[in-house]
Amino acid sequence: MKIEGEYTFDGPREDVWEMVRDPEVLVTCLPGTQSLKLVGKNEYEGEMAVRIGPIGGVFSGRLLVSDEVPPESCTLTAEGKGKPGFVNGTGKVQLVQQGENKTLMTYAGEVQIGGRLAGVGQRMIDTVSKSMIRQGLGVLDDAIKARVMAKADSKAVPYTPPSETEFAAAVAKDVAGGLLSARLVVWIAVAAIVVFLAVLVWLGVR
Amino acid sequence: MTKQIIGKRIRRNEDPRLLTGQALFVDDVEIPGMLHAAFVRSDYAHARLLGIDVSAARKRPGVVAVFTAEDMGNDWQPGPPLVSPPPTAKDVVFHSRRQVPLVKDKVRHAGEAIAVVIAESRYIAEDAVEDVLVQLEPLEAVIDLEKGLQAGSPLVHDDLESNLAAHLRQKKGDYEAARDRADLVIKRRIVIERGAAAAMENRGVVAHWDEKSKSLTVWDTTQAPIPIRNGLATRLGLSENQVRVIAPFIGGGFGPKMMMFYPEEMLIPWVSMKLSRPIKWIEDRRENFYATTQERGQIHDAEIALSGDGRVLGLMDVFLHDTGAYDPYGLTIPLNTQCHLMGPYDIRNFTSDVSVVFTNKTLVTPVRGAGRAQGIFIIERLLDIAARELGIDLVEIRKRNLIPPDAFPYEHTIIDQAFAPLVLDSGNYWPVMEKAREMVGYAQFVKDEQPRLRAEGRCVGIGITPFIESTGVGPYEGARVTIQADGKIFVATGYGTQGQGHFTTFAQIVAEQLGATVSDVHIVTGDTAEFHWGTGTFASRGVVVAGNAIHAASSMVRQKVLRLAGKILETPEEELELAEGLVRLADMPQKSISLAELAVLANPLRGAVQPGTEPGLEATAYFGPQFGATAFGTHAMILEIDPETMMIDIKRYITVEDCGTVINPLILEGQIHGGVSMGIGNAYYEKLHFGENGQLLNASFADYLVPSSTEMPRIEVGHVETNAPFNELGAKGVGEAGAIPVPALFAQAIENAFYDRGLEILEMPLSPNRLFELLNEEKSQ
Repeated sequence: MKIEGEYTFDGPREDVWEMVRDPEVLVTCLPGTQSLKLVGKNEYEGEMAVRIGPIGGVFSGRLLVSDEVPPESCTLTAEGKGKPGFVNGTGKVQLVQQGENKTLMTYAGEVQIGGRLAGVGQRMIDTVSKSMIRQGLGVLDDAIKARVMAKADSKAVPYTPPSETEFAAAVAKDVAGGLLSARLVVWIAVAAIVVFLAVLVWLGVR
Repeated sequence: MTKQIIGKRIRRNEDPRLLTGQALFVDDVEIPGMLHAAFVRSDYAHARLLGIDVSAARKRPGVVAVFTAEDMGNDWQPGPPLVSPPPTAKDVVFHSRRQVPLVKDKVRHAGEAIAVVIAESRYIAEDAVEDVLVQLEPLEAVIDLEKGLQAGSPLVHDDLESNLAAHLRQKKGDYEAARDRADLVIKRRIVIERGAAAAMENRGVVAHWDEKSKSLTVWDTTQAPIPIRNGLATRLGLSENQVRVIAPFIGGGFGPKMMMFYPEEMLIPWVSMKLSRPIKWIEDRRENFYATTQERGQIHDAEIALSGDGRVLGLMDVFLHDTGAYDPYGLTIPLNTQCHLMGPYDIRNFTSDVSVVFTNKTLVTPVRGAGRAQGIFIIERLLDIAARELGIDLVEIRKRNLIPPDAFPYEHTIIDQAFAPLVLDSGNYWPVMEKAREMVGYAQFVKDEQPRLRAEGRCVGIGITPFIESTGVGPYEGARVTIQADGKIFVATGYGTQGQGHFTTFAQIVAEQLGATVSDVHIVTGDTAEFHWGTGTFASRGVVVAGNAIHAASSMVRQKVLRLAGKILETPEEELELAEGLVRLADMPQKSISLAELAVLANPLRGAVQPGTEPGLEATAYFGPQFGATAFGTHAMILEIDPETMMIDIKRYITVEDCGTVINPLILEGQIHGGVSMGIGNAYYEKLHFGENGQLLNASFADYLVPSSTEMPRIEVGHVETNAPFNELGAKGVGEAGAIPVPALFAQAIENAFYDRGLEILEMPLSPNRLFELLNEEKSQ
């Protein structure tokens, strides 16, 4: 599956770069993520518990950051597996400063999906994962805004990441236009796993 | 002999049990102390196995054992070949690579079993499957048949030079010379893709090794219980009499359950012996999509040469056949395709070249139709295109090419799926086609109704497609018929049953000979303790091969009955008749003796059995046909297509079958209905989508669409009988007939509906989406 897109953040490129390379921040952007830790030079491991509908279990992922040109670009290689199957992928992320306080992120990746995810979740993967990327990046953008404001005021600005439920609901609303069926929730669950790994691919982690 | 019972529309003996839930299926078997199995399967289609860590799974409470290939030691062996390899000849290549019980070095298709977990319940076993850590190094998968044969392709089997599993070329006459003198040559590439058999009941095995009696009992959803028993005995180091295999009621076979020695089929009995515990494994639907065999994937480059008046001068077809990761079933499917490429037509010049390709997909073995549907699709497509090019009516071009009735037995001088010469035993084709044409009202529809409906802007099409089906092949089946002391008749055959109505058709054959009531004939199929000679349920051979064996055994019992009754009634045998459970004088029916009394007298408790005779009214007989019996039929249909959604409404569906002697029209029609339903799936709904690197993308019934009652038309069935000359019943098989011509018929009728759009259908299955795409491709050209 090919995924590509772009997103404009409200913040200078250096800040965006710092944020996307910060596991602490990313964990908050991906509700359900249990851990994300550095295990080698530019190599990370993460775990995500998924317990929605019939698909349950821990999904574990590994991520490698290479070709790093701070604060411009990097290549990401990720692999993840768990009960619902596996996701492997590589992606390229680029940050382009646009004016004083805007940064354009472009991402392009190729992801291979297998097992139950591919066999049973196929028809919703594309739409739902794209929506979840959008939502995840939106959350990240809020975090960046908070950081930028904090820097400017030299004091902490409260930032509350969305809960797992809030996040899933936002995606569902995005995908289904507010018409959420019980069946869709299952598909979203499947897609949540994809997105976790997909975002690992597309975003830098520190 | 005028038939009293054969040919009667009798309700099925087995239905009361089936309809009231009293029939035993494998999953109904419950044994005290029974454990449950679940399999660790590969998510990857092609990967190197680097390691398995089962320690966490073994520690889970309730888990009794976990086995990997390594744990099997010397018991780890590939499955046996299921059919003989082709004869060694020039140009014949065949590499036998058989499925393995558990992956040892390399995963060759998604869903291949890597380890088996045995636990107190299936729930625990499934949870423990998640505890097993499998380290796989993914490899590039071989999915595309053409790319798979290119130099530099990854290899499914590393010890082979390429992914070529087999190659075979067959020739009849001189195609090149025929092409040189042809007025019209048509060449097309035609692609047929994979589908699933999608039986209602998935596979299942219960194995019970009893340590004290040293006997193994296996309940298995197999179409071939006797070969399974024999193979298990050999592999497990047991004597054949220590192993009993029971194929109880089975919710549909359709071919994939024929493939004996699925990994699970060998492993579950092996584990039962290792642990001295009964073990149950029931396949779930997702496993079925990955681990139960599939069929139909082929790519054909076909060429037909015709004279200006529409006579076929020759046919050439070069094709690739997808065999999946292994090829235990040899060349059966591609040979069947070759043998049906000429369909019911008198074609004198023919060349067919097949390359069988290993791919990283689930194994391919016969699925109802078994290569025949592909052959028929090719020839029928080419004839439709030819008819259009030559301006000949589509029925007429076929009529001109049918094998004439005086040409039978018709020798094709190529070899069939058993490597024997292909001989079409008998037939009278035109009356069948003509009857279908009349039943569908072809002339009237084309002349009046279709123009009228088209003028209203409606998109209606008609199709009429003849086909042959080779059926009833050897090697043999057998049966034992016994009249019991209560006058009821017991019949045992090794032939397995999966819903075909054998408990009734076989009973009718017996009742015809012995003058019994059909419901008094009790049939046991597929239990090796009752009868242990036979091969299996395949190639539409139940009534032809097992039926004739039962007929022969019944005739022998009839002779015994007459001899004994003649003596007791002091009447010459020729003056006796068997009816209503009695033997009586034909002209003095009040003078009689019952079969029950005769059975008792034939098995005396004192005195001496006459020298040269046997006790009881019992006989065992076998039937092994030298040639198969080739059935013929024609399907016709009128459909209407919604030009916006491409959904199809089948207005009329007609089948006319010539399967020789009809034993029971009700059951025959049921077989046809089921076959047509499968054919409709193959034509318009059922396609397995394989994504990048061999991932199956529609592994559930939410995404893999099988026809439901709303897609099924009312089917009108007509019969014509041309008795098969090489078996006493005169019967031909019909089990697969319903499915075979349907894709060709759909293509024809859809093209006819879009007659003004220049549509040419060169692929199967279609779908509403795909048809929409094809029409828009045509538009943009």
